[in-house]
Amino acid sequence: MIRTLLRVLGHEYATPMRRTLAMMTATAAVEGVLYALLVPILRALFGRTPADAWPWLIAFAAAVAVYAVLRYISDLSGMRVGTTMLRGMYHRLGDHLARLPIGWYTDRRVGDVSVMASRGLLAALGVMAHLLAPFISALVTPLTIVAVMLVLDWRLGLASLVAVPIVVVTQVRTARSMATVDAQRHDRDHEAAARVIEYLQAQPVLRAGGRTRERFGLLDDSLQHVERTSRRQTLSMLPGAVGLTLTVQAIFTVLLALGTYLALGGNIGAAEVLTILVLAARCADPLLSLSDIGAKLRGARSELDRLDTVLRTEPLPEPDEPIRPERHDVEFDAVTFRYGDRTVAENVSLSVPEGQRIAVVGPSGAGKSTLLQLLARFHDVDAGAVRVGGVDVRAIDTEVLMARIAIVFQDVYLFHGTIEENVRLGRPDASDAEVRAAATAARLDEVIERLPGGWAADVGEGGALLSGGERQRVSIARALLKDAPMVLLDEVTSALDPLNEAAVHEGIERLMAGRTVVMVAHRMRTVRRADRVALLDRGRIIAEGSHDELLSRGGTYADFWNVSTTPVAGDVG
Amino acid sequence: MFRNTADGRTTLEARARPGLVLAAAAVVTLQAVGAVAGLAPLLAVVELGRALLSPGPVDQDHVRAAVMVGAAGLFVRLLFTAASSGLGHVLDGHVQLALRRALAARLGRVPIGWFSRRRTGELAKVVGEDVSAVHPLIAHTPGELVSAFVVPLVSLIYLLTIDWRLTLITLTPVVLAVALVPLLMLPSRQREQEEYDAAMGRIASSVVEFVQGISVVKTFGGSGRAHRKFRAAADDFVSVFSRWVRGMSLVAAGMQLALSPPFVLVVVLTGGTAMITSGGMAPADLLPFLLLGLGLTAPVAALGHGFDDIQAARRAVGRIRDVLAVPSLPEPADPVAPQGHRVELRHVRFAYEPGHDVLRGVDLVLEPGTVTAVVGPSGSGKSTLVQLLPRFFDPTHGSVVLGGVDLRELGSRDLYGTVSFVFQDTSLLRASIADNIALAVPHAGLEDVVRAARLANVHDRVLELPRGYDTVIGEDAGLSGGEAQRIAIARALLADAPVLVLDEATAFADPQTEQAVRRALATLEGDRTMLVIAHRLETVADADTIVMLENGVIVEQGRPADLLARNGKLTAFWQARTSAIADEHEPTTA
Repeated sequence: MIRTLLRVLGHEYATPMRRTLAMMTATAAVEGVLYALLVPILRALFGRTPADAWPWLIAFAAAVAVYAVLRYISDLSGMRVGTTMLRGMYHRLGDHLARLPIGWYTDRRVGDVSVMASRGLLAALGVMAHLLAPFISALVTPLTIVAVMLVLDWRLGLASLVAVPIVVVTQVRTARSMATVDAQRHDRDHEAAARVIEYLQAQPVLRAGGRTRERFGLLDDSLQHVERTSRRQTLSMLPGAVGLTLTVQAIFTVLLALGTYLALGGNIGAAEVLTILVLAARCADPLLSLSDIGAKLRGARSELDRLDTVLRTEPLPEPDEPIRPERHDVEFDAVTFRYGDRTVAENVSLSVPEGQRIAVVGPSGAGKSTLLQLLARFHDVDAGAVRVGGVDVRAIDTEVLMARIAIVFQDVYLFHGTIEENVRLGRPDASDAEVRAAATAARLDEVIERLPGGWAADVGEGGALLSGGERQRVSIARALLKDAPMVLLDEVTSALDPLNEAAVHEGIERLMAGRTVVMVAHRMRTVRRADRVALLDRGRIIAEGSHDELLSRGGTYADFWNVSTTPVAGDVG
Repeated sequence: MFRNTADGRTTLEARARPGLVLAAAAVVTLQAVGAVAGLAPLLAVVELGRALLSPGPVDQDHVRAAVMVGAAGLFVRLLFTAASSGLGHVLDGHVQLALRRALAARLGRVPIGWFSRRRTGELAKVVGEDVSAVHPLIAHTPGELVSAFVVPLVSLIYLLTIDWRLTLITLTPVVLAVALVPLLMLPSRQREQEEYDAAMGRIASSVVEFVQGISVVKTFGGSGRAHRKFRAAADDFVSVFSRWVRGMSLVAAGMQLALSPPFVLVVVLTGGTAMITSGGMAPADLLPFLLLGLGLTAPVAALGHGFDDIQAARRAVGRIRDVLAVPSLPEPADPVAPQGHRVELRHVRFAYEPGHDVLRGVDLVLEPGTVTAVVGPSGSGKSTLVQLLPRFFDPTHGSVVLGGVDLRELGSRDLYGTVSFVFQDTSLLRASIADNIALAVPHAGLEDVVRAARLANVHDRVLELPRGYDTVIGEDAGLSGGEAQRIAIARALLADAPVLVLDEATAFADPQTEQAVRRALATLEGDRTMLVIAHRLETVADADTIVMLENGVIVEQGRPADLLARNGKLTAFWQARTSAIADEHEPTTA
C-alpha cells in the first residue's frame, strides 16, 4: 500500500513519508514499553509495601509525557506530510491529465476522473492520514507488549507469540479475498449508476411504453446486483473478522487458563500474572480494530490503484527532436486506425494543398470525425502516417501542432465564465479590438447585445445558458481569434434555427478563408465551396474529386446527395 | 406542497421501516448481549486477582469456575457480535434496495419537464451515493452505539459498587475531554468548515471544466488556463485544508491524549496508589479499574469518531427525502378513455417561472389525418408547445384535450399509448437493438421490430453489427448519432401511436436519416394526427396546416399555399432564411 502510494506520488516523498512512519512506529513502541512499567508498580501495590510504587509511578507519568509529545509530533508530521502529498498528488494528476491524448477521454473516463480528482483523492488520503497511525499502533503496540511478556514469563510470552503469525495470515488472506469482492462492488455500483442515468434520460420513452409503472427491468436488475454484491462483500468479510476475533480471544483464554494454572501451582508471582493479563486485555482492543481499519484502508487502496492506473497510462510519445513544419498542407498517407476491434479508417490516403479546402462527406458512422481527430493527434494511427507540411504529426511537438490548428467541434464546450473569457481563450494576449473584431466576424456581437451583461454575461456551466447556435458562434469567434493556418471543422448535423444557421454559416466562411481546411460536412452548400470532396464509407474513401466532377460521375456520390436535395426550394422564394 | 412533503416522508419511512425495525431490534440486542458478555473474561481476571491476593489458601474451584465463565463469555461475544454485524449488513442491503426502488418509482412519476440535463447527474448521485451514505446509519451505528454506551454503562455501575471514589477519579479524563468539546465548535471553526467546503467545491468544478473541456484545453494551448486553474484550485484547497487541520490539531490532540489508555492509566494508578497506601482500598480492588476503567472513555471517542459519518448520512437522507417529496404528475382517480385522437389546445398559457409566459394563449386544433407544421424563430415557444402534447408539463392555464378528454383526466397508459414523439436527445439503452426498438411495445415480435427498422432505414446497418438485432448497444458495438436517431425513429414507428409529435431538428441527423424519416412518415397512412416542428421547407410545403408562432402566440395559420401566397409573416420569415442559406436546397444535376 505504501509502495503504491509512493509510486503514485513520485519518490521525492519517500523520505518524509518514511520519517513519519518511523515516528508513528516509535510512538506505538513507547506506548508498549510504557506498559512494562506496570509490572514494578503492581508488584509494589500488590506486595507488602505499596508505597514503593510511587517512584515507579512518577517514571510512568514521565513516560506518558514522552508518549504525549511523541504522539503530537508524529501527528503533526503526519498531517504535514499528508497535505504535501495531497498537493503533490493533485499536481501530478493535473499534469498527467494535460498530457494524456484527447482520444483517451471517453465519456466514462471523464466521469471517473472528475470524481477521482476531486473527492476520490481526498478520501483516499484522508483515510491514510486518519488511519495510518491507529493501524501502526494496532500492530506495533501489541508486538511490544508481547516482547514485555516474554521478558516477564517466557511461557506466557510464547503463548501470546503464537497469535502473531495467525493474525498476520488472517489479515493477509482477508485482504486478498476482499480485493476481488471490493472490485466487483465497485463495478456493480458503476453499472447501477449508469443504469440510473439511462433510466432518467430515457424517461419519455420508458413512459411511452408504460415501463415505469412496473419496475423497470434493466435498472432493477442492476440494483439487485448491487444488493447481492454488498451481501457477498459482507459474507466474505465475516471469516476474516471472525477469524481475527477468534484468534485474539483464544489467545486471551489460553493466557487466562495458563496463567491461572501457573499461579495456582505457585510457578509465577501474583503481580506478574495479573500484570500480564492486564496487558493482554490491553492488546485485545487494538488487535480487534485491525479488521475495521483494514476494510477502510482497502477502500483507500483501491482508490489509489485507480489513480495509479491513470498515472501509468502512457501519453502519446513526444518526439525527441521535434520538427517544425514549414508549410501547412495536409496529407493522409495510407492511414489505418482501429478503435477497439473496429477499424474506423482503412488505408485512407488524402492530400490537401496549403490554403485549400477538403470536405469529407459520408453516412454517419463512416469515420469522418476520426480523420479530424487523427490530424489533431487525439490518437495515433495504427498504420500509415498523417503529415502536416510533409512532417509526420508524431514528429511535431504537440504544442506546436495545436498552435497551428483551430477546431470547431459539433459539441462546443464553454468554460464557466464570461463570453469574453471564452472567446479570449483563442489567444489570451489578444487586444480588446482583436477580440471585438473576431466576435463581429462570427456574428457573436448580435448575441452579446441581446444578453444581459453583454460581454460580461455568464455562459453557465459548460455554456448551458446559451443555445446550441450561440455556442457555435462563440467557438467560431474563438477559432477566428486564434488565427491558426489550419482549420478543422465538424459541421453541426442538427438543424439550427434559421437565424443561427445563417450566422454560423457566415462565421465559418470567414474562418475558412485563406486557410487549409479539413471539414466534415453535412450541408451541400458547404460542400460546394470545397476544393475537393472525399466520400467516406465504413472507413474507406470510395470517391474523391470536386463536387461537380463527382456529381457528374453519378453513382454513390450522386445517390448520397439526392436523398436530401429533393427540389422544393424552387417553389418558394 | 406541504402535503407532498409529508407524503414523501411517509414513503421514505414506510419503505425503510420493516428493515429498520428489524435492524434496531435484532442488531442492537445481539450486539448488546455480545458486548456485555465480552466483559466476562475481564471479570474472571478480577476474580483470579482477588483469589491470589487474598490471604490464606486460594479457592481453586472458584478460580476455575471464573475462568470457565470468562472463556464462555468470550465465545458468546464472538457469536453474537458476528451475527449482529452480519445481520446489520444484510438488512442494510435490503433497506438500500428498497430506498433505491422507491426513488426509481418516484422518478418514474414526476413530470418529464422536471428533468433537465443538469439534474440527471445530481439525481443519479442521490440514487447511488446518497443511498450508500445511509449505510453507516443502519449497518454500523446501532452496533457501535451499543458498544460505546451499554458496555461503559455496565462497567460504570460495576465499578461504582467496588469503589465510588476511584470511579469518580477514573472518570476525570472523560470529563476533561468533554470540556474540550466546545473548543471544537467555535464560530471560527464553523467559518473554517465553510471555507473548506467552498475550496472543495472549487476543486470539483475546476476538475469538471478541466476534464470535460479537455479537447478545448488542449487545442488552445497544452498547459493552458484550465490546467492552471485546476492547479490553483488544488493549491488553494490544500492551504485551506492544512489551516483547517492545524486549527483542529491542538485541541483535538489534547482530547485524544485525555482519552488515550496511557493517560487514563496514569490517572487510575495515581488515584489507586494514593488510596491503597492510605489504606482506603484493598489492592485487589484496583484490578477492575485497570481492566474496565479504560473502556469508560469509549462513548466520547465514539461520538467524535462516528460524528462525521452520521452527519453525512443525515444530509444524504435529507436529499433522498427531497427527491421522494417531488410532486408526481397527478394521476386521475377515474381515468377517462379518449374518443378518437383529435387534439385541441384551448387558451393554453404556459410559464416555466411565474410571470414569464412562454405561451400566451394558444388555440389550435389538430385534426386526425393531417400534418400540422409549427414554424417560428427561436424562443417563440415551439418546443414548449409540442412538449405539452405528451404531457411533459401541464399548461398553466387552459387545457390540452385529446379525443375530447383533458390530458389531466387521461390515464398515463392511455396517454402514452396514443401520443408518440421523437424530439428528445435520443436515448438508447444499453440493451439489445431489438429491445431498444421494442421499448414502447415490450411484447412486439421480432418481425415487427424488423419491419420498423426497415422503415427507419436502419435494418441493413443492424445486420452488419456483430450480433444483428441481439447486439447490445454500448457493449458489442457503438452507434453513430444518425444511426441512434434512426433506431429512435424505428421505435416511434413500432409504437404506432395515432398522434405523433416530431422535431425535425433532432430527427434529421444526416441526409440518410432525413430520407428515412421522410419515407417512413409517408408510409404512415390513415388518420394519424401529426405535429411537426419544421425546419425544412419541404415539410412546410407538404403540411396540411402551418402554424407560425411568435412570442408565444400564433401569428399566422392556414394552408401552406395560402399563407405563402399572402406575403405575410411566414413568407418574410422564410425568405430571410432562404436568402441566408441560398444554395442549400438547390436541385442537383444528377
